[in-house]
Amino acid sequence: MTVSVESVASRLRFRAHAAAFGTFLRHNKGVAVAGIILLTMLLAGLFAPLPFDPIKPNPSETLSPPNASHWFGTDRSGLDIFSRTIVAARLDLPLAISGALVSLMVGVPLGLAASTKTRWAERFMRGLDAFQAFPLLVLAIVIVALTGNNLRNIVVAIALINIPRFIRLTRSEALALRESRFIEAARAIGASPRRVLFRHLLPNIVGTIFAQASLAVAHAIVVIAALSFLGIGITPPDASWGAMIREGSQTMATGHWWVATAPGVAVFLAVVSFHTIADGLLSYFERADH
Amino acid sequence: MATEALLAVEDLRTEFFTSRGIVKAVNGVSFSVARGELVGIVGETGCGKSATIRSIIGLVRPPGRVVAGSARFESAELIRMPRRKLRAIRGSGIGFVPQNPFGALNPILSIERQFRNVIRAHESISRPEVRTRALQMLTDVGIPDPERVLRGHAHELSGGMAQRTVIALSMILGPRLVIADEPTTGLDVTVQRQILDLIRDLLEREHSAMLLVTHDLGVVAQYCHRVIVMYAGKVVESGPVTKVFKTPAHSYTKALLGAIPRPGVDLVTISGTVPDPINYPVGCPFYDRCPHRSDPRCETESPPLTEVSEGHFAASYYHPTRDQSINVGT
Amino acid sequence: MFGVITLAFALVNLTPGDPAEVIGGGLASPEQVDEIREELGLKDPLLQRYGSYLGDLAHGDLGVSFFTKRTVASEMRQRFPDTIELVAMSLALASVIGIVAGFIAGYFRGRLPDRLLRLFISATQSVPDFFLGLLLIFLLFFKLRWAPPPVGRLGLLDTPPPVVTDGLIMDSIIARDWELLRTALYHSILPVLALGIFYSAYIAKTARATLGPAFRSKQVEFARASGLSEWKVAGYAFRQARTPIITYGAILMAALIGGAAIVEIVFAWGGIGQWAIDRILKLDIPAIQGFILVTGLFTLVIYFALDILVAMLDPRVSLDEFIGES
Repeated sequence: MTVSVESVASRLRFRAHAAAFGTFLRHNKGVAVAGIILLTMLLAGLFAPLPFDPIKPNPSETLSPPNASHWFGTDRSGLDIFSRTIVAARLDLPLAISGALVSLMVGVPLGLAASTKTRWAERFMRGLDAFQAFPLLVLAIVIVALTGNNLRNIVVAIALINIPRFIRLTRSEALALRESRFIEAARAIGASPRRVLFRHLLPNIVGTIFAQASLAVAHAIVVIAALSFLGIGITPPDASWGAMIREGSQTMATGHWWVATAPGVAVFLAVVSFHTIADGLLSYFERADH
Repeated sequence: MATEALLAVEDLRTEFFTSRGIVKAVNGVSFSVARGELVGIVGETGCGKSATIRSIIGLVRPPGRVVAGSARFESAELIRMPRRKLRAIRGSGIGFVPQNPFGALNPILSIERQFRNVIRAHESISRPEVRTRALQMLTDVGIPDPERVLRGHAHELSGGMAQRTVIALSMILGPRLVIADEPTTGLDVTVQRQILDLIRDLLEREHSAMLLVTHDLGVVAQYCHRVIVMYAGKVVESGPVTKVFKTPAHSYTKALLGAIPRPGVDLVTISGTVPDPINYPVGCPFYDRCPHRSDPRCETESPPLTEVSEGHFAASYYHPTRDQSINVGT
Repeated sequence: MFGVITLAFALVNLTPGDPAEVIGGGLASPEQVDEIREELGLKDPLLQRYGSYLGDLAHGDLGVSFFTKRTVASEMRQRFPDTIELVAMSLALASVIGIVAGFIAGYFRGRLPDRLLRLFISATQSVPDFFLGLLLIFLLFFKLRWAPPPVGRLGLLDTPPPVVTDGLIMDSIIARDWELLRTALYHSILPVLALGIFYSAYIAKTARATLGPAFRSKQVEFARASGLSEWKVAGYAFRQARTPIITYGAILMAALIGGAAIVEIVFAWGGIGQWAIDRILKLDIPAIQGFILVTGLFTLVIYFALDILVAMLDPRVSLDEFIGES
């Protein structure tokens, strides 16, 4: 029975990474807390049993403030806000995360390619400048409005407006690293450009890329909320934080503050958590660099 | 020699409160500077010489703080002096020449504007008067085209010109004491000489004193009357330059002088490293690296500064004998 | 700039999906949808549409709205100044708050004021600006009655001033109608607060990152050592730090033209962002195109002006270099 060296090596590597991750969490309690919050929100949205049906209207209990049975109160149709807030996580969070991931997967290779000193790269970056001259939120609205209110289009829209940030980040990091000594050394011993790209450049950039991805998710959550606030993207009866805020906006002026506040706080928590993770990642990788 | 010292520093202590612990950057420093005297402070990086001079003029920022001691300039106590009085002394009583001229000159304002700001902080004079005095000062520091320099900005100057301009700025108000923090590091060797000669000439003309911080023993030997040797936040030896360099009384000074590279002789180094400023050992700070360690007190009590001969002090329980003198050479 | 123009066309016309169908709604028959398509000019080949787009642009013709049948240009011109006023006021507030906060944080780095500020920045950046607006409506209008109800730029009974620039505040000043000016400003409190507080976080972050090191720089140390008063020293630090702050301010201004849209909706401001979103939801293609185009061009203009401003303020950047480059 032979155990290949490779598999042992990869298992050891995995163990080392896991240990490093554990130390990272211990030093960055904020990130750990943020992660827990997010996981809770996501899992609760997906699996948790809800005290009330989030979709069936209950005309007898409209607009009641938070009380013992309805922890966050009810809205104009008598729906329990607590349940709806939790259920909304089922769509809002995964959509934001997938959108950010797609734009990462497209943007990073593009950014790496654009960090080469070719004429194509120059022209491409100019085109990107032109693209970024537009208000991105409005762009997302346009895309979803024109292509239809389904979930796939939302992911596409989010991905599209976030691609520039990944391209720029990857490109600037790659450019900076290209000039550094160890790349010079790799080339000096004859490594091919692709090898240089993948084995040397990429691993050093990974940290900042993931930090930026976390920020992209945070931004995406707000964009999705804005979209559903305007009534596009996630449509009723599906629950979405943005749509709930819109409902609440009409009752805010008459003093029913709870309708919009619960989803607003949910958005706030999610965004803050992703920001914290991003900060934690950034400071960790900045320290590791030295 | 005036009977009253121009600057008298006594048991100065400055600490930096960091997350790793308390750094005792200045750990009980005492010395004095007389009128017109050129004093050099030497020591390795991290020995506290920069922190000492900044403590004297109140430039220590949090997390650092002067925690004890006194620094009297012309009989006025500088430590904990009210801000406004201290500001009046800075620039006109005590001048400051920093290490990097481009670090001192504001990149955005014109040179003339900077002269105006400095002069107007202490006296109210008109713009044309500022110009005249600045032009004169710039000529005094050896700048060939002072008009152009005044009109221009910092980034247009070469390293040497910039440092001359900074010297002009720091001496234009005729300070009685000039503190220079490694003013020639980073300049070409030939320019270094010129700058130092310039400084010395200006000081002699105004009969001003100087406190020159440097790690270059040769500079001290050439330009200073007295020298102060610092190690690990303390003064380990002080005295007239010729005496200290010919007959060093502290093992550290001896080792420093011995370590000067000489052609044909193997490079001598001092073994060991500087003690951790957060955890200074009890006893003499040089104990670990000292080749002598003859006295039982060396390990447990930090030796105080004792007078070895007239004007010559050393913080040591061991006194090397006269026949072990070392020639520095010019 | 040409790229922007082309992109505006491409974005709107190349997205998959059939606007004619959406306009027709699910109930229109295939013939009716086709009719709509014909009317909208969507049946022409893409290249031809692009050509006429460019041709029209050369005449300053942005097309006619599908819905209101008025020219896109006139509709935008009417609303653009309102947005400018909102953006200008919000940015001013954001700058004041941001710079002061960033300065305090930078000056006291690592100590309590700095840490409190970082918390505040994180918090405000994580709240969507329209939600912040809603919270303010609740707190300042409903609870405290300090601000007016969010019914628009003027109260329901006020009459607007004669139209000169189409900007409410500017027109009130021109007409010397001080009462009206006061009302207009009164109604601006909430939206300006919402946007101002939200965006102040971004400015504070930049200010802190630049002012902090500026105060610890060697230049400032030398200034202090020369006996300059603390005010002058602060001036030195600010002057050194101003370029990144101004740059960021310009970026925010460009972003706010479109980014204020949802706040405009919440407060019924009647600006161009609100109009654009309304048009987008109604799939009014020429209007959407016009909006994207104008905002894109406006952004370019702002960046250009920024470059010139920076070159003028910073003696290290020479104007000739800059002109040579572009």
